[in-house]
Amino acid sequence: MPPTSVASGRAVRAARNYLLDLWSRREFAWYLAMGNLKARNASTTLGLFWWVLNPLLLGSVYWLVFGLIFDRGTLDVTSRALAPGEELPFLAYLLSGMFPFYFTQTSMTGGVNSIVSNARLMANLSFPRLILPIAALIESAVGFLTSVGVFFVVVGLVNGIWPGPWTLWLLPTIMIHVLFNFGLSTIVARIAVPFRDLNNLVPYFTRLWLYLSPILYQASFLEGKGEFVETAFRLNPLFPILELYRYSFAGIEIDLGSTLLIAIAWAVGLAVIGATSFIKYEGKMARYL
Amino acid sequence: MSTPAIVGEGITVRFRPMVDRKPTLRRSLGRMQHRETKELVALDNVDLSIKKGEAFGIVGRNGAGKSTLLKVVAKTLRPDEGTINVFGKTSTLLQLGVGFNPHLSGRRNVYLGGLAAGLRKKEIDERFDDIIEYAELWDAVDRPVRTYSSGMFSRLAFSVGMAMEPNILLLDEVLAVGDEAFREKSMKAMRDLLDRAGTIVFVSHALPNVAEFCDRAMWLADGKVRSIGPSADVVDAYKTAVHRGKNK
Repeated sequence: MPPTSVASGRAVRAARNYLLDLWSRREFAWYLAMGNLKARNASTTLGLFWWVLNPLLLGSVYWLVFGLIFDRGTLDVTSRALAPGEELPFLAYLLSGMFPFYFTQTSMTGGVNSIVSNARLMANLSFPRLILPIAALIESAVGFLTSVGVFFVVVGLVNGIWPGPWTLWLLPTIMIHVLFNFGLSTIVARIAVPFRDLNNLVPYFTRLWLYLSPILYQASFLEGKGEFVETAFRLNPLFPILELYRYSFAGIEIDLGSTLLIAIAWAVGLAVIGATSFIKYEGKMARYL
Repeated sequence: MSTPAIVGEGITVRFRPMVDRKPTLRRSLGRMQHRETKELVALDNVDLSIKKGEAFGIVGRNGAGKSTLLKVVAKTLRPDEGTINVFGKTSTLLQLGVGFNPHLSGRRNVYLGGLAAGLRKKEIDERFDDIIEYAELWDAVDRPVRTYSSGMFSRLAFSVGMAMEPNILLLDEVLAVGDEAFREKSMKAMRDLLDRAGTIVFVSHALPNVAEFCDRAMWLADGKVRSIGPSADVVDAYKTAVHRGKNK
């Protein structure tokens, strides 16, 4: 056998062992995430009620500014959830983008802190370190799933838009999104170990990302601003994922096939880059803590 | 019998600490230009061979590399050079209560600590009552751990560590847990472990404990092995050196 294939065979075996090890420790990831979630609201007066309150407040703040003060009114989109000639209320549009974006944002802030804030655990016990960003991801995923429930109740009661057949696309959309966030959070977790400054940068980065994504306004807002701007805007990796959510939350028509393909490509690409660079770096992490 | 439990050869660990006592803009720009920081050799070509059934002590001054060596054995730190082989199920008690979340109940923390150490949930289910009984926690088990006395906390942590039923126990300065009764109990647990051909590696500044409890000991100085042998001899040599240093 040529030496390269021996080496790659070894790499495959190492990767397989790592994943098996990771899988055997899944209960640990789950307990770590649930423990943090429980502890976070343990000393608040409203306790578990914060689960529902968080997305409600998040949505209210942006709706107050962009729904009431800037008064976006209704949007002219083709949606399977609307009767012909009916327009989409801004609230439904806002929340169907804001909640998923918030999931990505909390995944990144959770990921960037996941290694540094568990320094004690890392110094004392050996386990696949990928457990830590995964536990952080579970934490933000649980928050996001509650906000999905909040979305359907609020938008259903306020705008009369209820789930339909298109809502079935929510499951694959969330799966792609989780993979996407996993990639992002492992990338920032890995970089933040030697480069702590990233902790301070991430909040500004995510805020900029929010404003550059079609969440508070529609993509059509940029029409006529030049081809370059429009193309650059569409290269935003969150763009196809937000489109998928718009479809599965509010039935807004999209080009499902190509959107799905681009979203999967981004998610798989980021996840592979994130996981491999993280695992390769694992042995050195203890030195920076 | 001399079946090896831990074998390390030529272990070398270098740290490149980021020295910035007063970070100024000019200095940090300078640092970017030539990134070389002063290298610190924490362990310098250390050989280690510990047998099954042996209690092994590590002594030395602060910063001699004792904890670094334990971290290498615990495999939380990969050495720059050298190899380490550990044969058996290791329980690490370098710090007490690792993985615990003070805001959660004792019950929850038994699971957190156990899972962090490598137990499965099912195993913790089975051993839960023993863990609580051993820690003498009883009805405090559903209270948040932050309300525990430090003795209760240490007992719970030690109890969870022993629930691993380890063959190899790595201890760092944690023998002083709980009150006299619990200390005796934990000493007994460790003796039982040794009787079952288990291995204990033990870092401490409590020299009488090392001399009394350990079979052999290693004296580390500046990351190098200064001497290795029967614990009483090593401790004596170390003590003499420390006193001589003081009188100078």
